[in-house]
Amino acid sequence: MTTATSPSASDTAASAEATDRTIRFIEAVRQQIGKVVVGQDVVVERLLVALFTGGHLLLQGVPGLAKTLLVSTLARTIDLAFARIQFTIDLLPSDILGSEILDQRTNEFRVVKGPMFTNLLLADEINRAAPKVQSALLEAMQERRATIGKETFKLPAPFLVIATQNPVEQSGTFELPEAQLDRFMLCHRLEYPTPAEEREVLKRNLTLGVRREDKGAVARTEFDVLDSGPVGSVEDLVVAMEAVHQVYVSDTFVEHVVELVKRTRHHPRIELGCSPRAGIALTKAARARALICGRAYVVPDDLYALADDVMLHRMRLNYEALAEGYTGATVLRELLDDFGFVSRG
Amino acid sequence: MSTDADMLKRGPISYGPIRAFAVSGACWVLVFVGGFSGFGEAAGGETPPAVTKSTVGMPVKIEQIVLPGTELEPLPVTDNTLVVLRVDAVYPHGTAFRYDLVCYGLEPGEYDLRQSLRRKDGSSTTDLPPLPFHVGSQLAAGQIEPHDLGAAKLPWLGGYRLWMVLGGVVWLAGLLWLVYPRKKPEEATEVAEVAPAVSLADRLRPLVTDAVAGRLPPAQLAELERALVSYWRRRLNLQDLAPAEALARLRADPEASPLVTQLETWLHRPPTPTQVDVAALLEPYRQIAPDAL
Repeated sequence: MTTATSPSASDTAASAEATDRTIRFIEAVRQQIGKVVVGQDVVVERLLVALFTGGHLLLQGVPGLAKTLLVSTLARTIDLAFARIQFTIDLLPSDILGSEILDQRTNEFRVVKGPMFTNLLLADEINRAAPKVQSALLEAMQERRATIGKETFKLPAPFLVIATQNPVEQSGTFELPEAQLDRFMLCHRLEYPTPAEEREVLKRNLTLGVRREDKGAVARTEFDVLDSGPVGSVEDLVVAMEAVHQVYVSDTFVEHVVELVKRTRHHPRIELGCSPRAGIALTKAARARALICGRAYVVPDDLYALADDVMLHRMRLNYEALAEGYTGATVLRELLDDFGFVSRG
Repeated sequence: MSTDADMLKRGPISYGPIRAFAVSGACWVLVFVGGFSGFGEAAGGETPPAVTKSTVGMPVKIEQIVLPGTELEPLPVTDNTLVVLRVDAVYPHGTAFRYDLVCYGLEPGEYDLRQSLRRKDGSSTTDLPPLPFHVGSQLAAGQIEPHDLGAAKLPWLGGYRLWMVLGGVVWLAGLLWLVYPRKKPEEATEVAEVAPAVSLADRLRPLVTDAVAGRLPPAQLAELERALVSYWRRRLNLQDLAPAEALARLRADPEASPLVTQLETWLHRPPTPTQVDVAALLEPYRQIAPDAL
């Protein structure tokens, strides 16, 4: 008989308290978001995973799936500074980072920080911007600092970039290269809502009405629904981030991650397998998901649930696989199905 | 003044030198007259017609030739045509026509261009004057056929053919070299996919034995867990479900749930005083028959 060893009692108590507080916080956030956004539970979970781990999130989906609304609502729910940049072809790095301007009163240059200096940045349609703008953003995402003129500024903490890209309209876009995609901890592909969810969306939309403004009126949108204050603070978020680090990751789970990542590198249909960063991201995201699910330890369910979002954008299929009609999702599914079987070295 | 008597005294007059002079002069006159009249007759068509000359294949132009009768046209060219004639231009010329002709011969010889002409109205061409055309040859005298090339008979395999065969062999070798390295790992992978080294049951048994004995390192514990989950997915026919969904179904299944829960406690929970009876947990999997899956 094998016996598991005893845990540290003080650690368990502290982590249990943080976990309880975080679970309450998560529940409140979910409820607030649920008032505005119908369904999309998985996306909300991924947003929280990204928020708790300090990773960045890329949302991929056709227009009209409430990507912007979701992020905006999340920012208001947690009382985070929020900025949105609509990426276009003529956007310049200085448009997002900021620039130095000449103050005519003092005759000196003064730094004007760009919209990047925020807690939650929504980079809408990131693939529409020129590569140098993408690079500027992704560099700041990685280093969490930005240089304007001769000065380097730290970005606020927490700093989370949620980028979106439309997978349909590819003309006039600059596809993010693998190295830059790798900076995103998660890449979630949004699905259409279920018929029941869509019905609820329509019903809610019918009740929005109009809002009087000055002498006229404007039609209320979903953005106007959330008029109550935030349900959490940055402090709650920090507690949650700390609680994530208390989530236990077993050696067995680490072995699962290592094996899965290794198999992407030796799969005959994959040209470029996952980097070690994928393994790190998978483990971190699994920790956050475990906490969101109310567990103090990760289980293989977390790995299976997050594998798509963590690994798909880090894999590149080879020409033969693409010619045979395989997609990254089908290959990863094969890999996970086969994962339960014996290791092939 | 001389009288008849004087004349008689002097005797008869001698006319010999005068007569000779007169005769010779008359002869010269006749010669000249005859010569000019002869020239005039020649210019009037009694002299032989001028011969147009060319060599094989070289066109020659005959300009402003007046041919009597109605308008003429060249005969169509056939396989047997030896002189190709073309009417370049036609001009009315009184009752006749004046022509610019271009012709060339395909074989050396003497020809009459009349043979290559016909009237447009179909009337006879017998009233046409002869139009001789000489086609000379550039070949050496007496040679009428091209020299025999005298090429030596090539061997069955040699020369150009040999080079072609060698080129083909090199190309084929290159093609195989390009194709073979790509195909090799693919075949190897397919073989591996179709026939894995060991079956799930074969692999599960030693893992369970070692796990019960406490000899399994984390990597093999992970493998054991995956194998057990896979075993239950197959047993409950959950292979078509996504892995995450299948695992959730296993948790809900009354048969599989205890195993999944115990595995979670044993392998993933932080170390707690809770004990998992690994031997009892894995006992059902000690002797799985290969055909059980």
